[in-house]
Amino acid sequence: MADGNGLPAGAASGGSIEAGQTVNGAVSASTNPSTSSAAGAGAVAGAGAGASGSGNQGYHQLSVTIEEASLRNNGFLKPNPYVELLIDSKSKRKTDLVKNNYLPKWNEEFTVLITPNSTLHFKVLDHSSFRKDAMLGEKVIYLAPILRYFNGRCEFLELTMDLFVTSKSDNRQQTKSGELVAILNGLKLDMSKLQVQGAATAPQNGNPPVQAVNPAIASDVAAGRSFEIYQGVRARMRLRSSSGNSNGAESRSPLPNGTAETRRTAPAPPVWEQQQQQANQTPQPQQPLRMVNGSGAAVPQTAPYPQQPPAPVLARPLTQVYGALPDNATPAAVYLPAGAGAVAAVVPGAPMDQQPGGLPISQSTDPQLQTQPADDEPLPAGWEIRLDQYGRRYYVDHNTRSTYWEKPTPLPPGWEIRKDGRGRVYYVDHNTRKTTWQRPNSERLMHFQHWQGQRAHVVAQGNQRYLYSQQQQQPTAVTAQVTQDDEDALGPLPDGWEKKVQSDNRVYFVNHKNRTTQWEDPRTQGQEVSLINEGPLPPGWEIRYTAAGERFFVDHNTRRTTFEDPRPGAPKGAKGVYGVPRAYERSFRWKLSQFRYLCQSNALPSHIKITVTRQTLFEDSYHQIMRLPAYELRRRLYIIFRGEEGLDYGGVSREWFFLLSHEVLNPMYCLFEYANKNNYSLQINPASYVNPDHLQYFKFIGRFIAMALYHGRFIYSGFTMPFYKRMLNKKLTIKDIETIDPEFYNSLIWVRDNNIDECGLELWFSVDFEVLGQIIHHELKENGEKERVTEENKEEYITLMTEWRMTRGIEQQTKTFLEGFNEVVPLEWLKYFDERELELILCGMQDVDVEDWQRNTIYRHYNRSSKQVVWFWQFVRETDNEKRARLLQFVTGTCRVPVGGFAELMGSNGPQRFCIEKVGKETWLPRSHTCFNRLDLPPYKSYDQLVEKLTFAIEETEGFCQE
Amino acid sequence: MTAPRRLRKELSDLQENTLKAFRDIKADDDNLLRWTGLIVPDNPPYNKGAFRIEINFPAEYPFKPPKINFKTRIYHPNIDEKGQVCLPIISTENWKPATRTDQVVQALVDLINDPEPEHPLRAELAEEFLKDRKKFVKNAEDYTKKHSEKRPAD
Repeated sequence: MADGNGLPAGAASGGSIEAGQTVNGAVSASTNPSTSSAAGAGAVAGAGAGASGSGNQGYHQLSVTIEEASLRNNGFLKPNPYVELLIDSKSKRKTDLVKNNYLPKWNEEFTVLITPNSTLHFKVLDHSSFRKDAMLGEKVIYLAPILRYFNGRCEFLELTMDLFVTSKSDNRQQTKSGELVAILNGLKLDMSKLQVQGAATAPQNGNPPVQAVNPAIASDVAAGRSFEIYQGVRARMRLRSSSGNSNGAESRSPLPNGTAETRRTAPAPPVWEQQQQQANQTPQPQQPLRMVNGSGAAVPQTAPYPQQPPAPVLARPLTQVYGALPDNATPAAVYLPAGAGAVAAVVPGAPMDQQPGGLPISQSTDPQLQTQPADDEPLPAGWEIRLDQYGRRYYVDHNTRSTYWEKPTPLPPGWEIRKDGRGRVYYVDHNTRKTTWQRPNSERLMHFQHWQGQRAHVVAQGNQRYLYSQQQQQPTAVTAQVTQDDEDALGPLPDGWEKKVQSDNRVYFVNHKNRTTQWEDPRTQGQEVSLINEGPLPPGWEIRYTAAGERFFVDHNTRRTTFEDPRPGAPKGAKGVYGVPRAYERSFRWKLSQFRYLCQSNALPSHIKITVTRQTLFEDSYHQIMRLPAYELRRRLYIIFRGEEGLDYGGVSREWFFLLSHEVLNPMYCLFEYANKNNYSLQINPASYVNPDHLQYFKFIGRFIAMALYHGRFIYSGFTMPFYKRMLNKKLTIKDIETIDPEFYNSLIWVRDNNIDECGLELWFSVDFEVLGQIIHHELKENGEKERVTEENKEEYITLMTEWRMTRGIEQQTKTFLEGFNEVVPLEWLKYFDERELELILCGMQDVDVEDWQRNTIYRHYNRSSKQVVWFWQFVRETDNEKRARLLQFVTGTCRVPVGGFAELMGSNGPQRFCIEKVGKETWLPRSHTCFNRLDLPPYKSYDQLVEKLTFAIEETEGFCQE
Repeated sequence: MTAPRRLRKELSDLQENTLKAFRDIKADDDNLLRWTGLIVPDNPPYNKGAFRIEINFPAEYPFKPPKINFKTRIYHPNIDEKGQVCLPIISTENWKPATRTDQVVQALVDLINDPEPEHPLRAELAEEFLKDRKKFVKNAEDYTKKHSEKRPAD
């Protein structure tokens, strides 16, 4: 652990928040107070969470495409320009750099969150490898006047802005240095509800903004003519909002790389334009498509069958460069549920407009704005309604050969549907340049963005985790003679292993698959005696074993036996299986040092570099980790976040492990899921198959988790106990079901403990479960469908049910995960540990984040300044971590906090925040409703009384009055 | 096919031996796992109307309990504004695979007829119920008149 405490991870993480950029005075003048108070990530989360009722004053999503610039030629060398975009002096976004060019074209699109009063600060910089990057020109754009000018709409709004540089010598005079063209898109606000800043806070360096929308101007703008909004900023609509004529041909395609195929008319309209045109042809008044952050509460939930809609999923293929996916051959196609058979053959790679109804975008309006889609509304082209065997309605999309329970909604703006080389459908998000296998809907996108917005919080959590310091002495390896007799009894070595003897006659073992060596015999590792730590016996002595496997020593000199090790310095006292005193051997420290020793003795020289971009952390890491031979991953890691180059003395890689684990375990990707509503441990999601490449990812995650163990880094969130047991190859029992599915467990126990012949249970040797709304039927044995469960055969039934419950739908995924893991860290190495210890070394110990807890608590009949509430938090802060955990458990049923922090606390009917309600009299004890994460806290008269009652409730009365 | 077999049996039993307080029981045409029915309470202040509920069964029924939701709004200390109800018989701790839907419904009807203000979901109603019964009854009656469904004729 030499590199353990170098740079604090926070040093690197700061880059994502960007607090203190210096921008000229005018900017701060028009910065919305609400933006300046909340730091980047927090603000995103807040906007997402505070959804309902925040109306238009919250954050909105705006797509900004930085197209091109023309720069003044004023030097010997051509510049290497790139653009930085700051929103309200924060959340810096950067384009790639274009080398040696005065007329750079970037065509990069960014999706940013803005308020109606935001500023957009564009800076064109010249990258230099040797010096500080030089400013080529900058411009601050004020959104408010633009919104007023265009009546709240930014749709394909082309902005041409003059760039200025401030001369250092010449009286700080500003000179025009070029022009930059950017497109704003995807924003439509209802101006009547907005409090857009008026003239008082208008930009100081421009003309007074136009106060009202002038219809004449507006129509001119619509006709494609350019208008000066204020000095140095010209705007025009690229596309007329009425269906086009002459000017349509003039419009440039905002798609970056000409990917849109040629259609009937000359310049290819990008996807969203089409949508818009289609939408505009329908008779009813149209709202253009948009995606507003924070209005998720209005999303219609149309889940015809399951009580809860299927888990939101956003599995995406790992190709961040769009357009590249079709070329990347990936494993066999897997399609969603039923109904695929009857589908017409699709020519792989065919241009989209040759397919019937290429885009399943219908005339239906924006999902954000419409209420529940009426049932008689026509389906998009290529869609069909069918009924399954239960007579339930589902939707078949013949375009993509997939089925859905939900009625199709149009794609969000900026999304496109495509097919890869094998005819598999995927979706391209031009806003973020990402691709996904799952049809997006606004709800999923909300979740996804919310998840991404939590990174700062994740890193903060990472810095809170701890484990014992590892400065302990490593056990010193001393030569020991392994007797030949021991060897033979064990049979041949596992495949790929070889036994070798080093020069001093000490035996060691080589694992050729992993390229590791170890002293322990792989056949006995972790289970029987190991001789690592012991020197040779005195002459005439021998080691033998009792029938029970306990070691004893024979002294042939005196013909006596003893359990006491005769060697000098050997620890005295009863020995455990590892040959050290039992008490010590049981200690976590000792086990950990054993494991670390194995890691260190198999370390490889040199290092590997992993370079990632924060925005594409998952993809970058995936490609690099899977490209390397697994054993290389044991080299020292050198992690680089692009654009934040710095030395990785451990802090950066700590952050990388933490962020990436947060990312890959994101339930949104559908690879992992929470164990159940009250258990935030993660387990493999049986629905992961929605992502055709899921097995590749499980292999990757297996490698990654092993790397975390190997390099002694923590991951963000742990797995379920049964999952750890699987890693340890322990047999799963009925008791294990309890931790992941208590209801199922209770029922199974009830069946075991009661006479079931006379209560009409109607149980058969066949079972159902549901994945993504699809019922999956399983026969526990052959013809199980026809065999009733009785008192006679119920033992067998319970055994079969246990096995099925613990493995259903996740067998292959688990296997691949373990394969990936084993390539980096042989699973045998884990055998020192039990499952709880495994979780501890993987996740570290964690404090409950009281700030986050308090921030995400709601009150009923109290408010945040009520005496009792203040006392409650005082108690929480003053008490120790263990009590906090128990308090949390008392109210929510679990002492674990969800991956996304307290904001994501779930109740039995979906998200349910921690709630404190005033109930009863001061003589009552506090009560809890675990299904609603609610604490009924009587109005106690003093702090001491509250502490006493609360402590009593959580400590003395386990399960007291819980529901 | 455990759930459908069991549910078909329970449904036909319930439809044959009608409970006085639970009528109009139907499974969705296209989904045997979703039932609706009409709760017809006997006790004032709820005896002036009827209340539509929805019962959702999981695919793993009877290993997992059903969920109950009120579709008709009701002024009751144990039922919240969203129609959620915390019914002990179908809680994780108490659920038994032998529990039948008619027992669940009976427990629900009992709870409607005799609210349990000690375990309220709506504390303000519980308080009113305990402190000012007259006012509570009046409010609940008014609310029932305004929101509930018509009671079946017989």
